[in-house]
Amino acid sequence: MQITGQIGRKTLKSVNHISNLCALTYKLLRLLVQKHETGRALMKRVVIEQIYFTAVEALLIIIPIALIVGSMLIIQFAKLSGQYDLGKTMVLIIIRELGPMITALIVILRSATSVVIEIGYMNVFNEIDAIEMAGVDPLRYVCLPRLIGITSAVFCLFIVFDLVAIIGGYAVIWTTTYIPVGNFLAQIGKALTLDDIILSVIKALCFGITITVTCIYHGFSVKKQITNIPVETSRAAIECFFYCLLINLVISVLFYI
Amino acid sequence: MNLIELSDYTVVPEGSGNGIKECNFSISRGEVCCISTDNPDDARLFLKALATLVHPLQGIYRYNNKQIDFSDKYNLLAYKKKIGYVGNDSAMVSNRTVRENLLLMRNYFEDSMSIELDENAMQLCEAFNILGRLDSRPGMLDHLELKVAITIRELTKSPDILIMEHPEELMVKGHSAFLDYIKKKFSAGLPAVFISNDRNIKENISNKKILIKNGRLSTEE
Repeated sequence: MQITGQIGRKTLKSVNHISNLCALTYKLLRLLVQKHETGRALMKRVVIEQIYFTAVEALLIIIPIALIVGSMLIIQFAKLSGQYDLGKTMVLIIIRELGPMITALIVILRSATSVVIEIGYMNVFNEIDAIEMAGVDPLRYVCLPRLIGITSAVFCLFIVFDLVAIIGGYAVIWTTTYIPVGNFLAQIGKALTLDDIILSVIKALCFGITITVTCIYHGFSVKKQITNIPVETSRAAIECFFYCLLINLVISVLFYI
Repeated sequence: MNLIELSDYTVVPEGSGNGIKECNFSISRGEVCCISTDNPDDARLFLKALATLVHPLQGIYRYNNKQIDFSDKYNLLAYKKKIGYVGNDSAMVSNRTVRENLLLMRNYFEDSMSIELDENAMQLCEAFNILGRLDSRPGMLDHLELKVAITIRELTKSPDILIMEHPEELMVKGHSAFLDYIKKKFSAGLPAVFISNDRNIKENISNKKILIKNGRLSTEE
């Protein structure tokens, strides 16, 4: 009986948590489509700052990682397939699956965790109260720009990762080894379909929204104790990664099977 | 007409306090209320309740005779905007400079990115001697400078009421200008509620005294 009760409580807690995340997503998306006369200039600035932090500053990390992953995969698959369908395999692995997941992972590790810490800190030290006392909605001033910024950044990083992994990886192999890779770039061009591009956009949107909403939710979940911040940060990071994996799986199943 | 009226208002305790129990309180224009207490946590909680920063367990909060609905946080923003709150736990946004914090409300509601403070704010910054700290982050300010900056922020939003914890802290280190400024504001009718241990403030500025004991409010004679 005790085990049943425990399972029931855990299930209810999880359902409650998911419904809270959905409610926050709905609230933020509703704010996004509403037309506001005030605060647009201020929001624009926060969006730009968020894109700079999440996308531009992450380039120094994502480019080497993309190069390493791209070269590694090209070497392995060139040896395995003997150039046959190498382009198709790369599109399959990098553009459809590995690119989005590695990008999401980097964004989670770099930016998402810092969003939880920042909002948690603002909560603990009454900065959210200060924003509210100015009559400013924290959802508009703090959360919405992060949603727009991180989602746009994820999309841009997808493109950078895919391009660097494929073209850069090819260049690395071509200049440093004698492994034959045939007409690799032509094969890639042939294998890449419109579906892959549309799916990349969908994945970027879903990952961006999921990562931001989960982090904002955990940031606001920090009660008035600073020791709660690392706990919520760790929870948010794991949750974000799990949700991204799940979304990736669902999208792949829906579109490719 | 009462600006703020609390009826049968109960708030759950914070820290080591008793909370606020079924209190009835009202304040109107021209009234300056000083709070004495046996427990600072209760007095602070009462100020936060007045500033709509904590939600009641029961009771009614009327602002300008209009009952406030606490169920939607968004509705409270319009009231919060009109309340100047300077508590010991008040803060500024730490990743913005003091200037940007002082400009937050103006920039948001006027939809601008101006970095020029208005004349009133500049005068207050000069009087309180923080002009040189305007481009620093709040974390670089000491406790007193931060409180001064927060007070300026709250005063320059032209509040309907000023709620303040220990205003006497601002009167040390050459901040006597503050006393003159708030006296002028109070004589112009700005209502205020504050906690103070300073006899001078209690006797000379306030015209209403209340006592919070065991979480219950009573008027001091």
